[in-house]
Amino acid sequence: MIIAERKPIKRILQMIEPFERIAVIGCRGCVAICSAGGDREVEILAAALRLARKRQGRPLKTVEDTFVRQCDPEYLTPLGELKEKVEAVVSLACGVGVNLAADLYPDLKIYPGVDTSFYGANPALGEWEEKCRGCGDCIIDFTGGLCPIARCAKNLLNGPCGGSQNGKCEIRPEVPCVWHQIYERLKARGELEKLTQIFPAKNWIPAGHGGPRERKRPDLQMNSQK
Amino acid sequence: MSELKLAILCCHYTNEATAQDVADIPAEVVIKRFPCSGRIEVVDILRALEEDAGAVLVAGCEKGSCHNNTGSLRAEKRVEAARKILEEIGLSPERVQMAFIPRLDTGALVEAAKRTFETLLEISAKGETSS
Amino acid sequence: MSNEKYRSHLERVLREGHFAVTCEIGPPKSADGDVVRQKARLIRGFVDAANITDCQTAIVRMSSIASGVLVMQEGVEPVIQMTCRDRNRIAIQADLLGAAALGIKNLLCLTGDHQKFGNHPEAKGVFDLDSIQLLDMVRRMRDEKKFQCGEEIKGKTVEFFLGAAANPFADPFEFRVHRLAKKVAAGAQFIQTQIVYNLERFRKFMEMARDLGLTEKVYILAGITPPKSFGMARYMKYFVPGLDVPDEILKRLKDAKDKREEGIQIAVEIIEQVREIPGIAGVHIMAIEWEEAVPEIVKRAGLHPRPLAEEVKVEVPRPAPEIVPEKPEVEEEVPEAPPKVEVPAEALKEIFGSLRSSMEALRDGINLLHEGLASLERALLGGPAERPAPPEIRPEERPEVKPEAPVVSKEEEERAQKVADLLSAAKAAREAGELAKAEALYRQVLELEAENEIAKSALAEIEKERLVEELLKEAEKKLKEEDLDGAEAAYQKVLEIYPQKTEAVKGLEKVKELKAARVEKKPEEKPPVEERPAVEAKAPEVADILVFAELSKEYRPVSERAAGIPEDVYKEPGTAYIREVTIGEGEKAITIGGTNVLPFHLFEGEMKNPPHVAMEVLDVKPEDWPEALAKYFADVFDDPGAWAKKCVEVYGAEAINVYLVGTDPNFLDLGPEHAAKVVEKVAQAVDVPLVIWGSGSAEKDVDVLREVANVLGAKNVMIGPVVDTNHRALGATAMGYGYSLIASSPIDVNLAKQLNILLENVGVPLDKIAMDPSVGALGYGLEYTYSVMERIRLAALYAQDEKLQVPFVINVGREVWKTKEAGLPSDDMLGDQEVRGIALEAITALALLLAGGDFLIMRHPKAIEVTKRVIDGLMAQ
Repeated sequence: MIIAERKPIKRILQMIEPFERIAVIGCRGCVAICSAGGDREVEILAAALRLARKRQGRPLKTVEDTFVRQCDPEYLTPLGELKEKVEAVVSLACGVGVNLAADLYPDLKIYPGVDTSFYGANPALGEWEEKCRGCGDCIIDFTGGLCPIARCAKNLLNGPCGGSQNGKCEIRPEVPCVWHQIYERLKARGELEKLTQIFPAKNWIPAGHGGPRERKRPDLQMNSQK
Repeated sequence: MSELKLAILCCHYTNEATAQDVADIPAEVVIKRFPCSGRIEVVDILRALEEDAGAVLVAGCEKGSCHNNTGSLRAEKRVEAARKILEEIGLSPERVQMAFIPRLDTGALVEAAKRTFETLLEISAKGETSS
Repeated sequence: MSNEKYRSHLERVLREGHFAVTCEIGPPKSADGDVVRQKARLIRGFVDAANITDCQTAIVRMSSIASGVLVMQEGVEPVIQMTCRDRNRIAIQADLLGAAALGIKNLLCLTGDHQKFGNHPEAKGVFDLDSIQLLDMVRRMRDEKKFQCGEEIKGKTVEFFLGAAANPFADPFEFRVHRLAKKVAAGAQFIQTQIVYNLERFRKFMEMARDLGLTEKVYILAGITPPKSFGMARYMKYFVPGLDVPDEILKRLKDAKDKREEGIQIAVEIIEQVREIPGIAGVHIMAIEWEEAVPEIVKRAGLHPRPLAEEVKVEVPRPAPEIVPEKPEVEEEVPEAPPKVEVPAEALKEIFGSLRSSMEALRDGINLLHEGLASLERALLGGPAERPAPPEIRPEERPEVKPEAPVVSKEEEERAQKVADLLSAAKAAREAGELAKAEALYRQVLELEAENEIAKSALAEIEKERLVEELLKEAEKKLKEEDLDGAEAAYQKVLEIYPQKTEAVKGLEKVKELKAARVEKKPEEKPPVEERPAVEAKAPEVADILVFAELSKEYRPVSERAAGIPEDVYKEPGTAYIREVTIGEGEKAITIGGTNVLPFHLFEGEMKNPPHVAMEVLDVKPEDWPEALAKYFADVFDDPGAWAKKCVEVYGAEAINVYLVGTDPNFLDLGPEHAAKVVEKVAQAVDVPLVIWGSGSAEKDVDVLREVANVLGAKNVMIGPVVDTNHRALGATAMGYGYSLIASSPIDVNLAKQLNILLENVGVPLDKIAMDPSVGALGYGLEYTYSVMERIRLAALYAQDEKLQVPFVINVGREVWKTKEAGLPSDDMLGDQEVRGIALEAITALALLLAGGDFLIMRHPKAIEVTKRVIDGLMAQ
């Protein structure tokens, strides 16, 4: 899922400085699961903002709501009404949600309440780890299911580099060397020959270096005006 | 926010203190009960402050004696989280205090409330106002 | 290149079967091309080619290609390095075309060190390609005349002899040769390996390489680095990933008198051994920031002269003739300028250099204090300050300058000036009767000018006078202690030097009288005392170490010096106080902590208590104490009680720390009863506050300290060290008996705080806790300690971090006296062992006082005296 983290409250206070009525809108998708932008976080942020503003002598009124998702237009429709009631919206959705809302409601002032960090897994309560970088050209069939683009500091395709020591990456001692893991895994499976081939230079266009990425499925495009 | 208002958030098992028990604290003391201190959320603490309390005491059972095993430990973590938020918005984190109280020991609760009140006085003395 | 069969000279050397030698040139962090040229001249004729690093360890330096051109102009063939970190495939290809056009023939393809390790850790790492893809790309540019995209290169293309790196010491070990094979398949023709120290593993690696047939396809050059010092070798072992330095090499360096010589020797031996390994085609010498070692190593390894050397020609497409003229003179220098290997203890010299500058800074500070106090007095008392500013702190007053200085270089001129200054200051000091100080100054003169006659003869004279003074003092002390034999011996020694010295004659008479009066003898008190005075007589005066004399108590308030600036601009007292911890009972009790400002910032806050110093007593006879320290306690080593008593009565210790080192399971593993007995003895012998310091074994200390508590009972002592694994047990003991605790954490702000919280959670109040942040002696991580203490103190005072508002207890002595420098014998270079040890301990103590130390534990009586003087001076503002 997409992992996000609440922005510093001071920073959010700056964004909403001119306003007296705002909405804090969460998302029940990824950010709710990674405890950054669900119902609970909406409540907390709204209360904290009110408290801070009260102390400044400029009370703030908040509307709180959490949408099913913010990355689908149909769930964003309440924003149409909301923009009449509040001066601005702080969205706790990932950057996708904020962007889509901004696309659809050009005259709505919408601000990000979280930093969208990475695509990660949730190995234990309160811990998230990056596992994929969405590079658009998955090769982890060669690497035992472990992604060197996301998990190697140098994105090597022909690793491990000389900084691999005792299974750890030189970058930080607690970071495993993913190439070491790949090696061990393929060795155990008797598939080491996969590593003797030279991986050619990577095409980075699918990774986003060719501009914003999009995907179309004509078979699903029922009313394709575009 | 009144500098002389104190909110106590606690569970039913921690104590049975009443308004009389805390009457000699020279402040308005509001006691709010939850089924378990583990049920006290960060937002409950923030709202208590919003509702004019100058300080909040979260009281849970002594470690290991919580009816729900880890309730008061959860409460402690939430207190930490609430304190971080206070720091972020420029309020003394000491406005939120955690106390582990032997079950049904009203005396210990009152003591903790007094300490919290003293902390509040210290904070006020430093000139920090919350409103 | 004279021979068209080969792409480069390096290729020719290798192909014709010669054992190749390459080395490494690190370009400067500036645009100064002379640095590169200089380095090239140093190694010219000793190597077949020189690698030019490409922003090694991700630190910005002059580019490899540009430096390579400079190197070529000096007649050395460069190997350009290209990493994937900073350039994408477009930039790399463009730069390589340019390099080829400039005449560069060798290319080493690397992935590159991660930017995190360099000076721009926030840079975006490119890593568009990796080293293998880079090799593949360049090979195809060269052999297929195609760009990476497949487009044809029309016209000239690159003609590089291609190399790559291999690290046989990284993990997973068995895969390393396979990755090497990939590099060979991608186009590598030669390989330069990571530095080889672990020959066993390297041989295994080579064996695997041979098994895969790689040595038939690629020339492998073994990486060689002469370790410059023990510290460098240790750093490489523990901090450089993929570098495996065996303990044996560390030990050799540690034991060597001349580290550099040993380092070169190690390199030569490794070269000799790797030569024996089948498949090794040469060596790649990486003398990091020590290029001048290369010729020496090459010569000693029997690899000089280089084959085909005369064939190397400067082949720069656009020669720059005007740059060459410097060459001739340097050429002559090079062969005769082997590295200066005779310097025995470079590191120590540095330490003392910094010691000296620390004292300089201290002196400046004290000058400020003088001025401050003087004007305060003026302000308060309405008249001029009585006490004159001590002249010795102002070295500017200069005497007749040496006349013979006109044509000398700037450095010499400065030195002569300094000598003259020192001589006149010394003379003044001598006339003022401050012999020790004068002596220190003369010594400094000799350091600058070893043959200075004035200083030499003055020193000899002073030596005598000082010895006499010291002996007399000693004798007087002995008399007071009723050690008549000791006093007598001291007086007699005086008479040996100055037979007429009246004090000595009178003293001897007195001794005789007293002896006669003493009818009943207490023989057991005597024996060890006999020889001590002679040794102790040599104890240097405190002023020997401190170039300034007694600290003046003058103070000119900041408010005056900052006239016109609002007070709140320069005053920032803390918002909280460090808690006070009291140990001991009655009048002798001491209290530490209680400050709301950074150390000695008395202008903006208060320190309720000055820092205190405890002396250390061991539970067993110390084996590793240098003579300079041991001699003071040798007579009492067997009896901790007597030892403590001596500390208190002779050296005025205000507290005693009993270090139960004998209970250490890794040392003598003595039982808790032993510890209890020792502590009991000490407690009976002295009435000053006690600190009981366990061996540091978390498990054992619980038993030991419990037993100690059993015999000690509820006394107000401090015990420790408490760590997270034993905080419950020791916390309970301490609460039970009302002891204070030393919370010991490993140089980390958060861990220190956490431990205090843990202790509080088990019920230990914060005013019964002192923190031991784990300290390092000068030269042994002092800066880490300093920085952590400073951060803790700032958090405590200015960030309301109440869990850190407890005082520091700092064990200085233990750290200092186990350093190598404290134990090295006296010699000309390092000076007197004892002066050195005292200086190390006192300077470490001072630094840690300034970092916030509240309670120091020290060992050497003189070092303590120095430290206390400074404390008194600083507290007297």
